[in-house]
Amino acid sequence: MHPLVALAWLFPALTLIVGVVLLPAIMLVSASRSSYSITGLRLGEAGGENYRNVLTHPDLGTVLSNTLIWVVAVVVLTIVISLGLAQFLVKQFPGRRFVRWAVIVPWAASLVITSQLFVLLYDYNYGLINHVLTTVGLIDTPIDFLGDDRFTMASMVVVGVFVSLPFTIFVIIAGLNAIPDDVMEAAVVDGASPWQRWRRVTLPLLRPAMLVATVLNTIYVFNSFPIVYTLNDRNPGFTHDTTITFMYKLAFKSQEKDVGMSAAAGVINVVLILLVVVVYLRIANWREETR
Amino acid sequence: MKSRNYAALSVIGALALTACSGGTGAKDTNTSASGGADATTIKLVAAEYSKDNTKAFWDAFAKTYKEKYGYTLEVNVISWDNLDQQSSTMIQNNQAPDILNLNAYASYAKDGLLYSGDEVLPAAVKSDILGAFQKSGTYQGKFYGFPDLSSARAFFYNTDLFAEAGIAAAPKTWAELEDAAAKITAKGHVGYAMPLGPEEAQGEFSMWLFNNGGDWKKDGAWTINSSENVDTLNFMKSLADKKLTQNNPAKTNRADAFDLFKSGKAGMVVGFSPLAGALDKDGKVKYAVAPMPTKADGGTPQTFGVTDYLMAFKKSNNQKAVQAFYELYYSKDQINTFIEKEGFLPVTTTGLEYFSKNDKLKVYLDTLPNAHLTPTDDPTWDKVKLAVQQNLGAALTGDPKAVLDKLQQTASNGG
Repeated sequence: MHPLVALAWLFPALTLIVGVVLLPAIMLVSASRSSYSITGLRLGEAGGENYRNVLTHPDLGTVLSNTLIWVVAVVVLTIVISLGLAQFLVKQFPGRRFVRWAVIVPWAASLVITSQLFVLLYDYNYGLINHVLTTVGLIDTPIDFLGDDRFTMASMVVVGVFVSLPFTIFVIIAGLNAIPDDVMEAAVVDGASPWQRWRRVTLPLLRPAMLVATVLNTIYVFNSFPIVYTLNDRNPGFTHDTTITFMYKLAFKSQEKDVGMSAAAGVINVVLILLVVVVYLRIANWREETR
Repeated sequence: MKSRNYAALSVIGALALTACSGGTGAKDTNTSASGGADATTIKLVAAEYSKDNTKAFWDAFAKTYKEKYGYTLEVNVISWDNLDQQSSTMIQNNQAPDILNLNAYASYAKDGLLYSGDEVLPAAVKSDILGAFQKSGTYQGKFYGFPDLSSARAFFYNTDLFAEAGIAAAPKTWAELEDAAAKITAKGHVGYAMPLGPEEAQGEFSMWLFNNGGDWKKDGAWTINSSENVDTLNFMKSLADKKLTQNNPAKTNRADAFDLFKSGKAGMVVGFSPLAGALDKDGKVKYAVAPMPTKADGGTPQTFGVTDYLMAFKKSNNQKAVQAFYELYYSKDQINTFIEKEGFLPVTTTGLEYFSKNDKLKVYLDTLPNAHLTPTDDPTWDKVKLAVQQNLGAALTGDPKAVLDKLQQTASNGG
């Protein structure tokens, strides 16, 4: 076969990769090495200045630790809760189809809308959550879920978990359905208790599904902008920002208002998440999994 | 086989998602027309003041503009939330609009992107614009920031809550305000709704500091940490400390403070004419509008005025079309219709006359010609404003003087 024929077949995929992945990446890097006026006008080359400014930013430490807490908390909670819910959803029960559909809803709704909904639920004056808690008598005065520094991150994590659940649950359901019945039967015949069956048979066989769920969720949560931005918009400064909202605020909201610096933060973001994914795959020994 | 698919999926997913997360656009090709011929189409990027009226007005405007001058106006109405980001992106990509409607202009003038009034504004229009706005629109001796409309703040109070708390009249001094807030708070309501959150902290603080004889900048020098301003912020902090405000004022945005007032929960708030419009429309809350109380007894109430701008970007061949745009916009039919529909205040002398027939606007119109504005004519302010928005709230839990000292330093260093 002529080599050009292969190229023709590859053409759509290559265009996509060049247009959607490579080109924006190149633009991002070039923006990160330029200096910009507050209006967005490019003033000239900046060399490494933008990177230096980001790396020496006084709030960078806060932002990084926020990001770590945000990603780890959301991903771990999501996986644990999904494991339980997926077990439940593979069982046969009347109305299962309906419940499965219901689980997808938070996934189908726009993140901004979901976040805005939670802003209303969390509200200090009118919020349903405070209303219920005070009516039941658990608390005397309302809790400022989004304004009180002790609660802000936790409130955001709840929403993060809520919107990550559907995808994760369905990945794990797929994983559970892929476990062959004969393995389970063999375990039963060998006298394994339900816990042993789950711990020794189900969980190891779920490993590939969990691997995918963890990697994709990590990237997804790390890059999640609407939740953190919407729930945190009343808070000045960078106290509860993650690297993604930090990047946005650098470009448009903070006193720096510098597109170049923001682009540099963007490049650092990409490097960071790639590093995390590679390290995770190493630890999870993905080469072994793919054999 | 199955697990290989999973691994491949995660790698592709990783690449795709990380790539999408970048995307602060860089250079693009310049699409503005070049060559000898005059531009026949110009692009307007307008701020969305209201869902109902803004787009409708500009569409009708474009139609008249086409009929009268033969140019086509491409109208883009963008919400305030996205406006900064979009305009910045357009300029990065060399795709600046011909006319941009924004709340700042000085940085654009500094970058040499704008036409000055001499180039595009008919002389009659310039002399019609109120002095305060001519001043705020002038950067380095040239008029660049052409105002589209204005607003002035005033003091709103809930008359039902005032009656319930047994307060006879609107407070005239800060001491009376504090007293009123205490009485309303004692009845289980919010005394004074104070939004010092990042949305508009500079607006709330401006209204207070102007009524204590303070200013952001005096005679060309920054005075952010002047003793008057420190006093002012200390007083605001004391209101918050005594729980006479809503919960957590440092983290309350203006929209949320207005919501408190609109739902009848708050006794007092600093508002402006669109808030009055919304209250009248709901018809739920009985309220009255008064001048802002002053610190000193017997002081003259000052008001904080805000204007937004319609600035014109210098491009080859668009000058005539831009001129025609301003000639039409500043004609009485157009500008007054726009301002009236949106519920704002005029920026021209003829506009003042036109609106003086409306009694409800009297309290604002009287103060408008002497309104204090923030120093929008200084490009440094564009950054100082952001610094104020992000940092002022910290004063309520920390040391007001230290916060203002830091802002003063930021301003003196040029942002």
